[in-house]
Amino acid sequence: MPAPAAEALPGQHILLSFLATQSQISLTRLYSKPSACLALFRLLNALERQIIMNYLWLEGPVSSNTMDVWVTRDGRAPYEAAMRTLASLQVLPSPKPGSNMLQLSPSFKKNFRLALTGGGDHMSFGVPCEKDLAGGVNVEMLDRYAANCWESILHFMVSSGTDGRASRPTKGILYLLDRSGLMAGQGAPKITSEGFQFLLTSPHAQLWTLLLQYLSITNERNIDMVEVIQFLFMLSTMQLGQEYSTEVFTNTYHSVLEDLIDYGLVYKRNPNRIYPTRLATTLTSGSSATTSSSAVSSQAQTGASLSGNSTVATAGGGFIILETNYRLYAYTENPLQIAIINLFVSLRGRFSNLVTGSITRESVRKALDNGITADQIISYLVTHAHPQMHKNNPLIPITVQDQIRLWEQEKNRVQIAEGYLWKEFTASTDYNLVLEHARSTSSVVWENEQARMFFVTPEGHASCRDFVNQRMREGGGFA
Amino acid sequence: MRAIKGVLLTCDSAVKQILLTLNEKEAFIVEDLDETHVIIAPDKVERVRQALASELEKNAFSLEANVP
Amino acid sequence: MDTSTTKAAREDPPAHLTLIVDLNPLQWELSSQASNDTPLSLSQFLAQLMIFINAHLAARDDNTLAVIGALPGYSVMLYSTDDSPPDDEAPARHQANSFQPFRMVDGRIASRIQEEMEKSTDLDGKTDRGLVGAITKALCHINRVNLLSVALTNNPESTSAMAPPSSQSPRMLILSISPDASTSYIPLMNSIFAAQKLKVKIDVCKIFGSDTVFLQQAAYLTGGSYLVLERRDALLQYLSMCFLPPASLRKVLATPSQDKVDFRAACFCHKKVVDIGCVCSVCLSIFCYPITRTSCSTCGTRFPLQTLKRLGYIRQPAAQANGRSKPNGTANGK
Repeated sequence: MPAPAAEALPGQHILLSFLATQSQISLTRLYSKPSACLALFRLLNALERQIIMNYLWLEGPVSSNTMDVWVTRDGRAPYEAAMRTLASLQVLPSPKPGSNMLQLSPSFKKNFRLALTGGGDHMSFGVPCEKDLAGGVNVEMLDRYAANCWESILHFMVSSGTDGRASRPTKGILYLLDRSGLMAGQGAPKITSEGFQFLLTSPHAQLWTLLLQYLSITNERNIDMVEVIQFLFMLSTMQLGQEYSTEVFTNTYHSVLEDLIDYGLVYKRNPNRIYPTRLATTLTSGSSATTSSSAVSSQAQTGASLSGNSTVATAGGGFIILETNYRLYAYTENPLQIAIINLFVSLRGRFSNLVTGSITRESVRKALDNGITADQIISYLVTHAHPQMHKNNPLIPITVQDQIRLWEQEKNRVQIAEGYLWKEFTASTDYNLVLEHARSTSSVVWENEQARMFFVTPEGHASCRDFVNQRMREGGGFA
Repeated sequence: MRAIKGVLLTCDSAVKQILLTLNEKEAFIVEDLDETHVIIAPDKVERVRQALASELEKNAFSLEANVP
Repeated sequence: MDTSTTKAAREDPPAHLTLIVDLNPLQWELSSQASNDTPLSLSQFLAQLMIFINAHLAARDDNTLAVIGALPGYSVMLYSTDDSPPDDEAPARHQANSFQPFRMVDGRIASRIQEEMEKSTDLDGKTDRGLVGAITKALCHINRVNLLSVALTNNPESTSAMAPPSSQSPRMLILSISPDASTSYIPLMNSIFAAQKLKVKIDVCKIFGSDTVFLQQAAYLTGGSYLVLERRDALLQYLSMCFLPPASLRKVLATPSQDKVDFRAACFCHKKVVDIGCVCSVCLSIFCYPITRTSCSTCGTRFPLQTLKRLGYIRQPAAQANGRSKPNGTANGK
């Protein structure tokens, strides 16, 4: 996974870990919009949501003991993890030292209440417009539009610009891909191993990876990051197929809007009016990007339906049939999907709605060399499995799964570590003394008591050398 | 007491034997530690890696050849 | 893929909630009278209920909801997520201040309740509540939702690590204000058994009036919560703390359980709640006393004359004590 996702706790949405690093002031400002509160709420997990609900309608602070008695013994660990998340997001700030009174952040409480009850005058859910019947804009058309935009970006990545059919994305997107480390190289960017991994994740995760990158460069561009998040959250609470007026948008919203049109999150037909696409309205639904497969498959469904005209793919979300003899049939004619499958399959035949191929040692080796892991290949196969495959248990033939993992292990038969070998100790006391020091810096890679030898990392070596020298100077001496 | 710079190779015993054979042609092993660990000269790592890969590759059989 | 299983453990499947709202106008009238400690009128109640519904829908995009009204004499489906959306409302600026799905659901439920309340102005001879009908409707609906979700995923019992938890965890929440109607004991018990089979939890919130024995049993037998509202001005807090968490969360955050459940049953013959009665040893029908004297009115089994004599249901010159007691075992409903 690209950098931002690496920090995420298991199962937590990558945006939340990003928000947790923001200042309290920014977060308080973010919570000034009811739509932002609602969208954030939907990104949290079930327990965190329930804790918010427990506190939401209380007027004053309550002692944490009052709430703790509700927690069962088994629930202690998840409960505390949830409380930490909420504290880090400044939704439910930790109590001041010496007190155990807890309450929701006033800004969050006020505006989340407004979101649930309706009312106020914040205009944060978007101002809907009259239906423009003449435009011919419908959900299907929006899906197609979003798919084209998004897939052209991915297709450009996977072909590294060598495929003439893949149109070159705008400068902004190229910059973003470069910044996020998904592609590297000036002028003619090449996809990196992170980029390959990126391609195999769900569309939802891909989208957020890029958007987080977008948020992290807002500073350079003098755009207010909080407003950008508010705008994304606002889009995520809009309804698909409804046109919205941009009259109430701030300047920041307008400048971000142009970029989002490039990504396919927003479609603009009439001046001062926009349609959010499915990419935008599902930003905060399905509670996490790296979530259980139910959400992934619903995302995959979005992804597949994004693939426009391939009818089989849209039917059940999946299009790949994999047999125990490693042969693979993919019912797709989408160049992007074929290109992605080509990353780890050796393709053999192509028909009007079908490509065939097989998973071979060479094809998997090629993928592994590109930095893709065996788990990513398998999880891609699972998420895109054809409905027919769901009759099988397990879904992916166990032989193929195991073999892909074995190929990965085979590649890692040799581990290499640079460093220094310490040897020829005359006395075991000396050996133990220095080894003890090396252990304290946890830099020992290998040790052997009998041979009186151990191997340390370069950092550990420097520390050990200093340790020995100092001891010599102090006259402690070595034999 | 002394310390030598080197690269620690951790491998399984089969690979270890291949390494020993390779070492006979061109010496690169600095210190033979135990069944699964050897120290090799830092400047020869890439060469050893390639030699080992091609040696292991000889043991891999592909279906490709049989399929028309 | 071990990471995906831990993620799945953290993540909950979409939840289905069926709300059964007791809309007995008479009881609501009583509830709103100022003589109560904290009067609660229907409109105040509905305002808080809507927020609770919004909270349920806010949690996940794919959370589903059905609302069923129990009125005197009949029950009616007020809202269901599978309803086709109503005609488009005219766009207006103020709509930007509320989340559209909430606005749609709330508006629809409110107008449907309005309709039904106007219809049911004459209460003559309709003492029977539609509660049982509502529960039955709810169970049918839940059954359909279950079947649908299984059919959709086309993936019945795949145990692969990535298999989506397709089945929702359906729940039912009964918001009750009316007292027990002992005539509905048998159908109610039957619905409880059906709910057990479907693994549907029945939660009960008693908003007004005294404890209801039967609903208490319903909650107990299906593993749901039964709660008597102590402070009616805090209705929303009670609802969100006790009845919002889905089944998976109740392992972490405890919900109130009943420390004592009234297990009394109603007899099959006179629909009276009985402390001690007679139970037919064949079909387990409960009678306050053997009315037909010689055989069970449900299954026709002949009662042994000796026992009836011994218990004093048949007068004999040498009869023993005249207590009504058990012929074939205790009848405490368990």
